[in-house]
Amino acid sequence: MAQHSRESHAWFLLVVGLLAWLVPGGGHFVLKERKRALIIFATIVLTFFIGLYIGSIGVINLFGTAAIYVKAAQIMNPPIVLVLGHHSASGIYPVYCWPSEIGQVYTMTSGLLNLLCIINAVYLAHLRGDELAGD
Amino acid sequence: MSLETALIIATFTTPEKIGTNPQAMLWLLPLAASISVAYKAMKMPTISVSSFLKETVILFGSIVAFVIIAALILYALAWLIV
Repeated sequence: MAQHSRESHAWFLLVVGLLAWLVPGGGHFVLKERKRALIIFATIVLTFFIGLYIGSIGVINLFGTAAIYVKAAQIMNPPIVLVLGHHSASGIYPVYCWPSEIGQVYTMTSGLLNLLCIINAVYLAHLRGDELAGD
Repeated sequence: MSLETALIIATFTTPEKIGTNPQAMLWLLPLAASISVAYKAMKMPTISVSSFLKETVILFGSIVAFVIIAALILYALAWLIV
């Protein structure tokens, strides 16, 4: 029984983490933290789109020659980044100098903030699971 | 596709013109604001409008102040060395 409970708890944490990655704030939303979810969603999406506005979708460099830390940070954005990365890999959206730098910083920051939100949502879900088990 | 939609999409397919000048540093401000908002949204135990705004503004001010201090120190070092 305890084994089954642990397994379902692990699955719940996985679902929360996955939702938080798919939609910024999605993890907090399923945990009934609606205000947090809304603020997180608006902030991360806005940061990501400011990055795209400054540097164009050419700053998403998942399949190109960008440094590994750039790819690692950008991949933490919601999956739409994979579609944009696929389009920008064709090389028809060239971007150089400051717009490239600033656009990359913004898109990387939104990805890292999303990672932070995923970890926070999974941690909250873990704490709630422990509270339920203690009741 | 309507003209408005095409224009909106076009803004995301061509980069902005940003010169290498001190004004370009102002792009730091929206980034610091988004970091402050997202961080405080996760960290505060309960979210009420007034306390959330207050905490966010304090964090935003701290980030900007420390960046300015770091810039001044680096500027002074560069002035001493060069």
